[in-house]
Amino acid sequence: MQSRRTRILLAVLVVAALTFLILDLRGGQGPFSGVRSFGANILGGLERGAATVFSPITSANAWWSTMRDQATQIETLSAENDRLRSELDTLTNDKARVAALDGLLKVSSVGGYRFVPAEVIAVGPTQDFAWTVTIDAGRNDGIEQDMTVINGQGLVGRVLKTTASTSTVVLLVDSSSAVGGRVATTEEIGIVAGTGQQDQLDFQLLDPNAVVRKGDALVTFGSKGGRPYAPGIPIGEIVEVKGTPGELTRSAVVRPYVDVSTLSVVGVVTRPPRVDPRDSVLARSSELPVAPSPAPLGGSGATSSAAPNQETPATKAGAKKAPSTQPTAPQQETAASPAPSPGTG
Amino acid sequence: MWWRQALIIGVLTLFATIVQVTLLSRLGLPGATPDLVVVVVVAIALTMGPVDGAIAGFVAGMLVDLAPPADTLLGVNAIVYVVIGYVTGRVIDPRDRTVPILIGIVGLSAGFAVLGTAALDALLGSERVVWDEMAGMTISTVLYALILAPPVVLGVRWLVARVTPEVLVE
Repeated sequence: MQSRRTRILLAVLVVAALTFLILDLRGGQGPFSGVRSFGANILGGLERGAATVFSPITSANAWWSTMRDQATQIETLSAENDRLRSELDTLTNDKARVAALDGLLKVSSVGGYRFVPAEVIAVGPTQDFAWTVTIDAGRNDGIEQDMTVINGQGLVGRVLKTTASTSTVVLLVDSSSAVGGRVATTEEIGIVAGTGQQDQLDFQLLDPNAVVRKGDALVTFGSKGGRPYAPGIPIGEIVEVKGTPGELTRSAVVRPYVDVSTLSVVGVVTRPPRVDPRDSVLARSSELPVAPSPAPLGGSGATSSAAPNQETPATKAGAKKAPSTQPTAPQQETAASPAPSPGTG
Repeated sequence: MWWRQALIIGVLTLFATIVQVTLLSRLGLPGATPDLVVVVVVAIALTMGPVDGAIAGFVAGMLVDLAPPADTLLGVNAIVYVVIGYVTGRVIDPRDRTVPILIGIVGLSAGFAVLGTAALDALLGSERVVWDEMAGMTISTVLYALILAPPVVLGVRWLVARVTPEVLVE
């Protein structure tokens, strides 16, 4: 008798799960979707609370992974440091110049994105292969579906679903994600698709004869009305070009600037800029040394938030060594090296 | 006292789900995310029997599919966890209740959960699964489950013995 009841129960549970599954697979908008969003609302609220409780642990983890990364990077960095030191002397010892550059950075970073800041509170399990995160801003904060999500490094992803107080963001690297991308220097356009692997994107060029090179930076092309992707946001840089010009398909491997494993604070773009900022957001680092006299633009000594992060290693490296004046030729090379670096943050 | 069993199942699965997405998956551990939910389901099945195991599997699976940022079809994890809850509750022989066997069952279940969910997702048309990483994901999930198993099984057993001693499987 007992085993009969057990079997019936088991059948009921499996059938119930299958029913939900089939209803969900059909993608109906009936009463069932209300149940789902109600459940997501409740659980989202709980996640907000739990994230607050766990925040000391998770932030310690961010610190720890930074430490771990640093340990592995020390070797490459010290080699690179020697090479860069001579190049950096002239640049970094010039304090006034740095202050002016900070101002320039600030000006160029006013690309005109209006965004709502938010923090990542939950992350999907890795074994689900879904690169999605929950952020602690939802409909009540003005977040809507298909808004662009960015951080200091570049494009993070787009808003997939919202609840009252949380939103689910599908990250750039998720295999369901596809963004229109443009090569900053050559204006070639194509589709940047996620591969499901965290440090790799697939860039399919529309023009099979396009010339792309390793190291080229990509920015978003921008969607109509800025949704789901606002224009001009740095995506990543090309690390490998596949195929030769003229082949039927031409693609490249792109390393995203944003490190999805250490996401914390992000911004949801609620209003895209009125004018497409083109490459100006990228250019904030590559334009620096060639700017002839940035003083009038820089004006106030206010430091933009992005600037110190990129300048710190340079300042340290330069400070250790006695200033030795060099011809300005290496500056042009220096101009190139900070440009790809935002991804390492 | 059915409501006490329901309370235990509800609280444990909810707790595991929330901890999993807000804490464990954010630790940035190598490989997969430690699958606390499946370990809790198996622990309930081992201490409360196959019926409660199946119910716990269903509830846990629905919660996992509902909790943001989940983007799977609702019910995928529920089916897999119902099977795991029922089978692990049924298969255990009272004479075999030695610690290595219990831990082994948890590990196997965790591996089955990863593979089962991925297979079901793929059958239902999800293109997310990266098969190249499947082996690494499964192995790391099993390893994390083996680490989580002793404290979770003991903890659930202690809790069940306190709250509803009549359903405790000896």
